[in-house]
Amino acid sequence: MATAEDRRALKRHPQERLRYSWLALTGFVLVLVLLAVALVQARQATLLRQVVQGGDDYVVLMVYQAETEQLRLRDQWQRAADDRVPLDADMLRLRYEIWVSRIELLRGADLQHLLSGADGDQRTLQQAMDFIQASDRALGPTPEVPLDRAFVRALLPQLEALTAPMHELSLGASHKVSEQLEARGIAVRQQSQLGLGLTAFLSVLTLAFAFIALRQVAQLRERRLVLEELATKLRVARREAEAASDAKSAFLANMSHEIRTPFHGLMGMLSLLRETGLTPRQIDYLRTATESADHLLALLNDILDMSQLESGRVTLAVAPVDLRALLRDVEALMRPQATAKPLALHIDAAPGVPERMLADATRLKQILFNLLSNAIKFTDHGAVVLDVRTRERENGEPCIEFAVTDTGVGMDEATLAQLFSRFVQGDSTRSRRHGGTGLGLEISRNLARLMGGDITVRSRPGEGSCFTFHMPLRTPPRTASEGAAPLLPIGLPASRPLHVLVAEDHPVNRQYMAALLENLGHHAHFTSNGQEAVEALCRRRYDVVLMDLHMPVLDGVSATRAIRALPDAARSTVPIVALTADAFAETRDRCLVAGMNDFLTKPVSVQKLATSLRRLFGSGTATPDDVPVPPDQAPAWASSHPVVDESAVAMALQAMSRDKLAAMVEAFLDHAPETVQRLRAAVRDAQPLDLRINAHAAKGAALNLGLAGLAATAEALHEGAAHLPAHEIARLVQRYEDLVPATRKAMCDLGVLLAAPQPAVTG
Amino acid sequence: MLAAAWPARALDAPTGPVVLTVGGRVRMPNQGDAAQFDMTMLAALPQTTFTTRTPWYAQPRRFTGPLLRDVLMAAGAQGQVIRLTALNDYRVDMPYDDAQRHDVIVARLMDDQPMAVRDKGPLFVIYPFDARPELRGAVYYSRSAWQLRKIDVL
Repeated sequence: MATAEDRRALKRHPQERLRYSWLALTGFVLVLVLLAVALVQARQATLLRQVVQGGDDYVVLMVYQAETEQLRLRDQWQRAADDRVPLDADMLRLRYEIWVSRIELLRGADLQHLLSGADGDQRTLQQAMDFIQASDRALGPTPEVPLDRAFVRALLPQLEALTAPMHELSLGASHKVSEQLEARGIAVRQQSQLGLGLTAFLSVLTLAFAFIALRQVAQLRERRLVLEELATKLRVARREAEAASDAKSAFLANMSHEIRTPFHGLMGMLSLLRETGLTPRQIDYLRTATESADHLLALLNDILDMSQLESGRVTLAVAPVDLRALLRDVEALMRPQATAKPLALHIDAAPGVPERMLADATRLKQILFNLLSNAIKFTDHGAVVLDVRTRERENGEPCIEFAVTDTGVGMDEATLAQLFSRFVQGDSTRSRRHGGTGLGLEISRNLARLMGGDITVRSRPGEGSCFTFHMPLRTPPRTASEGAAPLLPIGLPASRPLHVLVAEDHPVNRQYMAALLENLGHHAHFTSNGQEAVEALCRRRYDVVLMDLHMPVLDGVSATRAIRALPDAARSTVPIVALTADAFAETRDRCLVAGMNDFLTKPVSVQKLATSLRRLFGSGTATPDDVPVPPDQAPAWASSHPVVDESAVAMALQAMSRDKLAAMVEAFLDHAPETVQRLRAAVRDAQPLDLRINAHAAKGAALNLGLAGLAATAEALHEGAAHLPAHEIARLVQRYEDLVPATRKAMCDLGVLLAAPQPAVTG
Repeated sequence: MLAAAWPARALDAPTGPVVLTVGGRVRMPNQGDAAQFDMTMLAALPQTTFTTRTPWYAQPRRFTGPLLRDVLMAAGAQGQVIRLTALNDYRVDMPYDDAQRHDVIVARLMDDQPMAVRDKGPLFVIYPFDARPELRGAVYYSRSAWQLRKIDVL
């Protein structure tokens, strides 16, 4: 995703290195200059010290003082030579001594450099020394001759001769010191100029250094910005990719739904076709077609499951599960497959396995079905065994294990390695024979992981396989009723008839549900929308609510949320079962997420209702044991009538007497002109919502009564209300109207309606 | 405070030639307002000896003499400024504190020999230059008066 520019930004290493070497070079020069500055400073310090130590100007003072003392001595000497004043020997000696000390000082080693320059100076000092040597004979520490006027007079000219050279010396020293001061001044000036130059250079270097550092910082910031931009782009790209993936999943899910709906129709048609007196060859073709359709449906279901697992839309409905009943269900479903092979099927639960556990029963079954049907599929002889046992995990938590062992073909390492990958089957040649989407194991493993467990496999070629599914074992707290209690504890006496609140907007559906519930021995109470249901619940307690999803005022899902939000725990926890004409998993998920406990699709059979109630209230509740289970095949009297669904009629007839059903069908059909009128009004007034509501109500009732043609037309109206062109809708309404007499005739043909010319055959 | 340290007896009068006169604020004069010392009296005070380099000699020299503060104490001289005057009327002031803070001596011997006037004698004020680096400067060199003849305490 990175653009060329971004890549350039990240690939600047050579340039970078160059910049760093520049920086290093500048730093190096900076250090050199600093050293030079230090050197200059040191030299300046030395110069200063020379000035202090040498004290050359002090020397000038000394020479001057020597001259002064020489003049004083000359005066004293002249006075001593004068006959008119008495000779003051002590004073003369003191003056002499002081002068000598001055001369000695000038001869001192430190001063030589000032005086040695000029020959004249040396000669003067020598002249002074000569005089001292001569004078010391009388004035020195060890006098050889007495100090008298003669001695003084004799030496006076020599002393006087010293006056001019001493003056010269004084002047010379003064000049010399001036010169030296000048020279030193120049040196100091040069030094300070050098220092200034160095400081200037240093400043420039420092500025350059700072500039480079600033540029570095700026470039770093720029690079950081580029990186941030890149990161943002990547984030956006990732989000887009995720959105695309989500969209794909959603598309897949939607398409699966879309395909499934007509597919059900296709399968229904295939099953109807079977009953139309076919030749054996046709029956064979039909069987193949049905098998293909079954396979295709399984594939669709798997894809739907997979896409939902991927998009994280699968939520587990964890509830107390009667494990043994669940295993019985599994066995009942698997045994026909096993015996068809023929294979032995053993399902064995170890003694320690609890009767009840917390799990999503549907998903748990799905996994077990998958593992068992795989085992059966890939095993030709021998047995398939499901062992259920509990054990402790490494972390000490209890866990339940379902091990499916077969005596089948087994798998080699390579096959095992890619077993859980998408669309991979143990053996591609076999898979063609055995069918299957290849998604089953992946789905199962994903579900297992969703449950906090996993699926592992052990297998060797020719020695069969063992798939082990384990999940954390959590047992529900014991409740008063020992049955498979639902998620919400309801301590119902075992065989008490239930008070059932039915929220259903269509009158015919209400009648239908009343008949079903009466048949099961329960008391039915009705409300016509979600709002009324919530209000009814507030007034009194019900054992269970059967909630239609599409209702005016407040729909089923919203009503469920409202009920679950009630402050009174006894009311807010009432079990709610959804009633809906859509069989979509998403609808189901939506219901369960909203807090519903179960989900029944219309047409609602007495078995379905009884099973659901048994799930919720345990076996103590009236069960369909006392209701004959409908045969797998349609009853003999059922013949192909596209306008009516014989199996639904048969189901209805199990729930209620023929008279009652006839009365309800009559009522519905009598009501139809009014429905048509309302539909037409909605079309005329361009009220798609009204159209939808009325169509939906009609559809639900028609489905329950087995009036398939009317139901299908109503559904088409319901679906198309918002987008179909007006003439199409009008045509559909017309068709609905046209179907009413046809339906009546068909119901008569089926013997449901009394006006039937033939005697009815009751199921 | 210093009073306790004063010598019990007054300063004797000099018997030999006077080599040093301490004037100014002198509490124990022995001649008019001043305290006069001959060499014997200076030699009688506690003596300090050290060897130090000086600007006046190429080699380090060994000086011996009483501490300046002992000389001042002997004269009962106390003040703010010590004015030193040499035979040639060279005059320099030093803070009174210098005599207290530094072991300044009034040297009467150099290399254990008395100093002639021609050798900057007979008395030479010497700071212990080598003992403290800060003393090695023009200020202290100028305060080291040689051919010392008079001290005035102001």
